[in-house]
Amino acid sequence: MKMKRLVSTLLAGVMVLSLVACGSGNTAPASTDTSAADTATTDTAATTDTAATTDTAATDEAPADTAEVEAPASDEPVTLTMWCIATEGDSNRHAYEAAIAEMEEKYPNITLEWEAIENEAYKTKIIAAMASGEGLPDIFFTWSCAFLGDFVNQGRVYCLDDVLAKYSDELPESMLGNTTYDGKHYGVPTTMNIVALFANMDLLAQAGWDKVPENYDELIKCCDDLVAAGIIPFGCAGGETWCVTEYLEPIIEKSIGADALNDIFLGRASYDNPDVAKAVDTFQEMIDKGYFDPAGASLPNDDVKANFMAGRTAFYQNGTWNCADFANDAEFLPKVKVTEFPVIDSSKSKLGQLIGGPSDTLAVTASSPNAEVAAEYAAELGKLICHYGYLDGCGLPAWIPYGDTSSINPLTQTVSEICANADSYVLFGDTAMSAVDKDPYLDAVAKVYGKELDGAGFISELAGAIR
Amino acid sequence: MHRRHKHLTIFLFLLPALVLFVGILVWPIIASVHHSMFEYRSFTEPGNFVGLQNYKDLFNSQYDFGKAVINALILAALSVFIQLPLALGLALMLGNGIKGERFYLSVYFTPVLISAVVIGMLWEKIYNPIYGLVTKTFEWLNMADKLPPAGLLGDPKTALLAVFIPTIWQYVGYHMLLMYAGIKGVSPELREAAMLDGATRGQVNRYVVIPTIKPIIKVSIIFAITGSLKSYDLIKVFAKDAYNCSYKVPSLLLVRYAFHNAGGIASAIAVIMIIMCFFFAILINWMFKERDLYGKK
Repeated sequence: MKMKRLVSTLLAGVMVLSLVACGSGNTAPASTDTSAADTATTDTAATTDTAATTDTAATDEAPADTAEVEAPASDEPVTLTMWCIATEGDSNRHAYEAAIAEMEEKYPNITLEWEAIENEAYKTKIIAAMASGEGLPDIFFTWSCAFLGDFVNQGRVYCLDDVLAKYSDELPESMLGNTTYDGKHYGVPTTMNIVALFANMDLLAQAGWDKVPENYDELIKCCDDLVAAGIIPFGCAGGETWCVTEYLEPIIEKSIGADALNDIFLGRASYDNPDVAKAVDTFQEMIDKGYFDPAGASLPNDDVKANFMAGRTAFYQNGTWNCADFANDAEFLPKVKVTEFPVIDSSKSKLGQLIGGPSDTLAVTASSPNAEVAAEYAAELGKLICHYGYLDGCGLPAWIPYGDTSSINPLTQTVSEICANADSYVLFGDTAMSAVDKDPYLDAVAKVYGKELDGAGFISELAGAIR
Repeated sequence: MHRRHKHLTIFLFLLPALVLFVGILVWPIIASVHHSMFEYRSFTEPGNFVGLQNYKDLFNSQYDFGKAVINALILAALSVFIQLPLALGLALMLGNGIKGERFYLSVYFTPVLISAVVIGMLWEKIYNPIYGLVTKTFEWLNMADKLPPAGLLGDPKTALLAVFIPTIWQYVGYHMLLMYAGIKGVSPELREAAMLDGATRGQVNRYVVIPTIKPIIKVSIIFAITGSLKSYDLIKVFAKDAYNCSYKVPSLLLVRYAFHNAGGIASAIAVIMIIMCFFFAILINWMFKERDLYGKK
């Protein structure tokens, strides 16, 4: 009888708890929440070493004749498949459509069957397909650094060294750093983005500023003037931690230098660095002085961006993909200017050290029966996506721009100039690091913004948590 | 032969249910325990056997798991001591046959029918520090300075409560309906007998109705506690990327690590959640067991 009672209790317990267990079997794919630049990464510590600080690249000089480059030429009809994330709602959709249409015209013998999958679902799908090695397309969209590195490690990606060598005049080697593993190139970069500081000049004018602050002292003075005028300087979405990193990472970079930050992100140096702690304290001093909109603490990025556009905050520091949205608002565009975050410690950093870089990439699967054709097609297609994406204001070109670019919005043009003078890039921290390391990093960043950790606490927590 | 045939028939009839039960319920639990002892850093490879290391790691500050468990327990306590009494009060009120009983029943039950995502978005707007209902009400009352500048959700001191209020509010109607059904099943003769003996309405509720629906209250408590321990959807809407929040709960961390190449850690969280749910289910069963004449359970 007792046994019966025990068994029935256990079974009842099991039934009640079934939902818990159903959520537990996940050993599954790396997939993360992202924004346009906040890309998922997987653990590829060994492979990301080359995904490093890259030298300046994209400029709007030296237009190249696209027709000159050797095409994926063969008259035999070939059908290629491609997976990407350019869904109907994606800002890059038009660039993909225009590029593919142009490719179809150029290469009528090649039929491209492409499928666009929503960002989050795509990560799950591509990781699962790569793990099994079955049902893979010929060409696939990927993020650079650790995300692609995982697939390279699995031996699923076709090496593009031979193909990309033909494009060396149009695609600077410095743009390939994030997709180079053990000295071999595995990706065709399309667009790139950096973190930039956007300023509402109308609000700055109310505080007596008719120009964007040019150095850190001026920025602080400007913020003080804004606060005195009853204007909130910065808006930052605490509800989405990647937005906090858009502030913290440039502050750390401009305090300790790009190389030092890059070494930390790539695991070559420890977080246990007093200069990092000092930079974090600098960020918190800015919070303490009331430079940040307190309402942003729990808000999502869309709300904070809308607040900036509505004139609630004077500055908004975020990715340059925002240029297109700001430029599309005819009323707001004349008010906004874009610049880079000023240098805090000039003995260690300098202007032109930027957060960002090429991440959006096309790659070819090693198992593709038409890998060679697919590689050449992907390179051409990547170049065209870059071209049309740049014209649309969706990002900066990883390739050297060609043709008439005069229609590009003024903000993107300014960003181009910033990049033309860039000294080095450090990829967004949560893109550069493995998924396992990303969590404690973003947790600690969130705690810094919430004042639960100070600079010393930040470095101590991360030095312990990140291998 | 006939007997054996009969056993075979019983077995065949039970087989589909048994397969489903083992495959959907028992096997995932066993698999979770197994996975929790490996690294599972990649999609398909278990990685190294680490024994109980994942469990030890969980309580490092890196994972914030201790805090998440405490939050889940706070939510469970609030559910039992605030949500259920509220539900019982409403059920007793409606069960006594007030005017518009059906209408109120529907109104109180409505939040249960609304998707948690919708409720989350709704309350997020209510709490919005710039234009939210709470903010505007406090401004109207000239008490705006009483609200934290970061808003109720943005301030770590108030965020936990701010998130738990809608979580609790959502399921009051659910428990109310369970208890209401029980109250309606209480024999009118019992009530009348008590009334004839001079019991007031309150005394009838206290000494007749509530003891009669004790099994339902027990089920409600088990649902409330296990539901709190594994609460996810509504909290996820508030937590967004779940990094910057003072209201982390175990299931938020479970999902995060399961999809961030830390399947071993995620499975360890799942196993701990299972154990906690088991523990509370058994504890509550024991507490509600009728005592015998000698006061023993």
